[in-house]
Amino acid sequence: MLRGRRAKLVAALTALALLGSACTSRDDDEATTDDDAAATGESSIDTADCVSDPTTEIEGDTIRIVSSYPQSGLTAAFAEIARGWKAYFDKVNADGGVEIAGTTYQIEYDDQDDQYNAAETAANIDEMVGPEGDGAFAVFSGVGTANNLAIRDTLNELCVPNVFAATGSTAWGNPDYPWLIGSSLSPYSLEGYMFAQVLEQENPSATVAMLVQDDRFGAEYEEGFRRAIEGTDIEVVAVEQYTTGASEVGAQITSLAASGADAFFNGGTLLACPDALTKKAAANWEAITWVSSTCLSDTLMGLAGEAASGVWGAANLKDPLNPDWDDDPAMIEYLDTVRQYQPDGFRETNAVVGYGYTQGVLFVEALEAAEAPTRLAVMESVRNLEISDVGLLLPDVTITTGEGDYFMGESLQLAQYEFTAEGARNHFVPQGELVSFEGETAELTPEDLINE
Amino acid sequence: MQLFIEQVLNGIGNGVVYGSVALALVLVFRTTGVLNFAQGEMALFSTYISWKLTTTGMPVVGAIAISMAIAFIAGAATERTLIRPMEGRSPLNVVIITLGLFLGLNSLAQLIFGVDPQQMPTPFPEGSVSFIGDARIQKETIGLIVVLLLECLALWFLLNRTTLGLKLRAVAGNPDSARLHGIRAGSMLMLGWGMSAAIGALAGSLVAAERTGFDSSLMQTILVYALASAALGGFASIWGAVIAGLVVGIADALTIQYVDALDGIEVVLPLALILVVLVVMPNGLFGKRTVERV
Amino acid sequence: MSEKSGAALEPMIGVAPEDVAVVPTGGEPSLWPVVPRPVLGVRIVIGVVLAAAALYAPFYFQPEMNRVLSQAVYLAIAAMGLNLLTGFNGQVSIGHGAFFGVGAFTSAILMIDYGWTFEPTILVSAVLTGVFGLLVGLPALRVRGLYLALVTLGLAVLFPRVAQKFVEGTGGVALLRPSRSEFSSLIDGLDDDQWAYLLSLAIMVVLFLLAWNLVRGRVGRAMIAVRDQEIAASTVGVNLAGTKVATFAISAAYAGVAGSLSVMIDRIADGTNPILYFQRSIEFLVAMVIGGAATILGPAVGALLLVMLRRNTENLIEGKEVLSPAIYGGALIAIVFVLPEGVVGGVRRLLARLGRRSVAAAAAARPPVVADPPPTTSPDDSH
Repeated sequence: MLRGRRAKLVAALTALALLGSACTSRDDDEATTDDDAAATGESSIDTADCVSDPTTEIEGDTIRIVSSYPQSGLTAAFAEIARGWKAYFDKVNADGGVEIAGTTYQIEYDDQDDQYNAAETAANIDEMVGPEGDGAFAVFSGVGTANNLAIRDTLNELCVPNVFAATGSTAWGNPDYPWLIGSSLSPYSLEGYMFAQVLEQENPSATVAMLVQDDRFGAEYEEGFRRAIEGTDIEVVAVEQYTTGASEVGAQITSLAASGADAFFNGGTLLACPDALTKKAAANWEAITWVSSTCLSDTLMGLAGEAASGVWGAANLKDPLNPDWDDDPAMIEYLDTVRQYQPDGFRETNAVVGYGYTQGVLFVEALEAAEAPTRLAVMESVRNLEISDVGLLLPDVTITTGEGDYFMGESLQLAQYEFTAEGARNHFVPQGELVSFEGETAELTPEDLINE
Repeated sequence: MQLFIEQVLNGIGNGVVYGSVALALVLVFRTTGVLNFAQGEMALFSTYISWKLTTTGMPVVGAIAISMAIAFIAGAATERTLIRPMEGRSPLNVVIITLGLFLGLNSLAQLIFGVDPQQMPTPFPEGSVSFIGDARIQKETIGLIVVLLLECLALWFLLNRTTLGLKLRAVAGNPDSARLHGIRAGSMLMLGWGMSAAIGALAGSLVAAERTGFDSSLMQTILVYALASAALGGFASIWGAVIAGLVVGIADALTIQYVDALDGIEVVLPLALILVVLVVMPNGLFGKRTVERV
Repeated sequence: MSEKSGAALEPMIGVAPEDVAVVPTGGEPSLWPVVPRPVLGVRIVIGVVLAAAALYAPFYFQPEMNRVLSQAVYLAIAAMGLNLLTGFNGQVSIGHGAFFGVGAFTSAILMIDYGWTFEPTILVSAVLTGVFGLLVGLPALRVRGLYLALVTLGLAVLFPRVAQKFVEGTGGVALLRPSRSEFSSLIDGLDDDQWAYLLSLAIMVVLFLLAWNLVRGRVGRAMIAVRDQEIAASTVGVNLAGTKVATFAISAAYAGVAGSLSVMIDRIADGTNPILYFQRSIEFLVAMVIGGAATILGPAVGALLLVMLRRNTENLIEGKEVLSPAIYGGALIAIVFVLPEGVVGGVRRLLARLGRRSVAAAAAARPPVVADPPPTTSPDDSH
């Protein structure tokens, strides 16, 4: 929500900055980091309206991080994200703590269950952070787009950071909410561009059918893809929606298959995703298929089995299912960390835990790069990242944020699913070079998705 | 036309699922007078048991059979310990108890069996057969239809042509009066719950097998549609529940295909359907007219 | 639950045995506690103690706790609404969550899109949901018992989906959050959370008094008559349709007010969760039953109990959070077992045992079934 003239000024300046940064070419992977705005004492975040002062230093020797995510109810599987970052924070604490601008702090973390209910998330965060914002230093890895949207106004007013929001929504790049930022999950709209690239290779004049969820998540896929194919010969000929939470999409697939499209964008998540793949196979519908990044889990792809053979997807993290990483030092370190600190019920092929772990690593890196142990400095650090080769990031992936670019996951590795046999270690096999959209998400995504 | 037939087949595929669960609901209602909101979650728990047994190498049919037996005992025990004490008291108390069971069973299933989606193997052959023109129907669906028909026949026969069935219905109608006739009401009530739990276990296991995968959310949407089907069919009729299930399933599939305006709110259709039908026929499509003595 | 046919007055002659279904009634259901109310003196003492506690609470507790208590207050209002419909009038609804939602979104939309201040929106919500309740109550006349419950369930399931389709809130999702400043205390010296609690409490007291008055009067007796013996009631001139539809409208309005207040207390109107309003409907029902159906204090007590229960079973066992719903469900079952007539029913029984009330006097306390007693009988003899 816009709050008066000052906010509009910030937005205007940010827009100008955006235009400027959009001019950098795609090849500039080695782009030097902007001089940290924080280093010069100036901030890109307007702190005049902050209810609580974000320049106060952390008291004592603990930095308190809070989170709200589903721990019971139908979406309890998302709790596995926390296993990853908790294990990493435990390790950091055991090794002495995190050093922020000269002082070492122990990371104290706390969380509450919200059962994926946005109103619950709002209540939890209100309680944990407090009406004055003194209940916690920052909010970390909240799960769910609606859930993070529900708390963004409050945290913005309080000037409390909400970092590494665990969804790929493009809303996290909204310049009106400088205290909110996403995670290494790539923005959903970019998946459309990746699929468009696949089609340019395989069938440049393909007709495409799309299955999307009937909410914002689905809209980001649909609008992102449509934007991506503008000016190409690719055409969307059919779109079907399914109800959020549905686990069966037979009627939708029948309808889409009837279009005879050459390609299929499977924007389904959770059980709808593998169901779409099996129903597609049962309908004998042959099409170049894309799966949502939310479907890249061993269980979901495993359920689809042979029907998942040959589907395309993209990621920027190392997949524990891929035998190529078995001897990788980073993978080994990750597995050891979780085995040691959060072993109860840990399933080692679960990529979701690896995602959580990597966010923990990235956050600690950001903390250590902060100029001062204050919220403002930490947020500035998160908004000016240049990190690679940490956690489970793929080798050439750089997490970069900066003036006008508040999306972390803009480098993606295209991959295709290889199904060898039932029960075998079927996994995604990387194809080709890393694709980088560095700094371009804002330009590539329909504006109203980001700025709503 | 081709597409229409295919969607109708999709609808039948889901419809038999709704009908199976509706069957369990109607059965427990006809034999004990209680609407069991926990029916879906009881079926879910039994489905997890079936699945767990198959992971030990047991053949699917055997696993489901054992699961049904366990469900029967558990259902009967539930009636005896949780529902019977509420006899004669407000029916709303029973509603609360079934709600408590609903929450409890779902949560326990997650605790015991984990939160990740699993795959239930199918007892039916894979593949599909030709139906009309190019439209194909899954062998699994045919299997489900056959099982459902057999269940209906068996239950109808039991309830309407056997003494046991007569006793069951008598107890449901008026337990005290039945007791005066020498019928062991308690046993009949337990039998009713046991049978419907077993039927639920069968339905759940077969549904999970038909699906690509299942998790603790399996029965949540199905329950709403199954309740709608049971209501549409009029809670008094076994066949009514099944036919209504098919109607709901087909209507849902056709809505997804042809009515874009209802994208995302297709669930409005079965509900609107019930409302319209009940306003015109207050006892459901197949229900019997009830008479109340003053 | 027994089913009653609209054609119940038709003669039995000419109806073949197969045409008539034996409808399960489970014996004589005593839906509502037949427990004597305590002596006037005792009731006054209880009332004063409760009032004092309720008024002192916001100044004693932290804002977080006040918020929880305020939630109990709006839940109590909704539960009372349901109590009027289900407890006193016998129409079972598991869809009042939808009315709650309409009230919540009405307030949120008026505030965010049209710049209204909060307090007037409560009235609009009440009227709007009342009308909505009327519209639902009309076809509900044809639908009885179990079927009504299921149709209303449909409403609760439908509402979030409709909201998602038509409401565009923050970030384009069906979520509305008015800012905190909109709910500033209107009374100097009162903190925002205290003001929210006291305003809600005041509204609750007014609505409860209205309900109490309603139930004691002619309309109330008509409602109860319709509940207990519909046919007999119609033969003595009670307007069945009018009573039932009016009760539906009133109870919907209560739920709407509760929804409106929830916007002040939770600062959110959320349409993104498909099962939220179904869960709300269940909450109202549970609060009503565990508090004591067809009583006046019941919904309030039940609401408080429910909120406390929910709060204390969340995250109870570290490492086994998935179990929280099971603990909560188990607690509900336990409560219903221990107090099958709700807390109020249980307390009354206790007091009756302790007190010296006779059975005859207890019988006098029950509202009469017929609207007007015949002149030759004194009111105390009616049963």
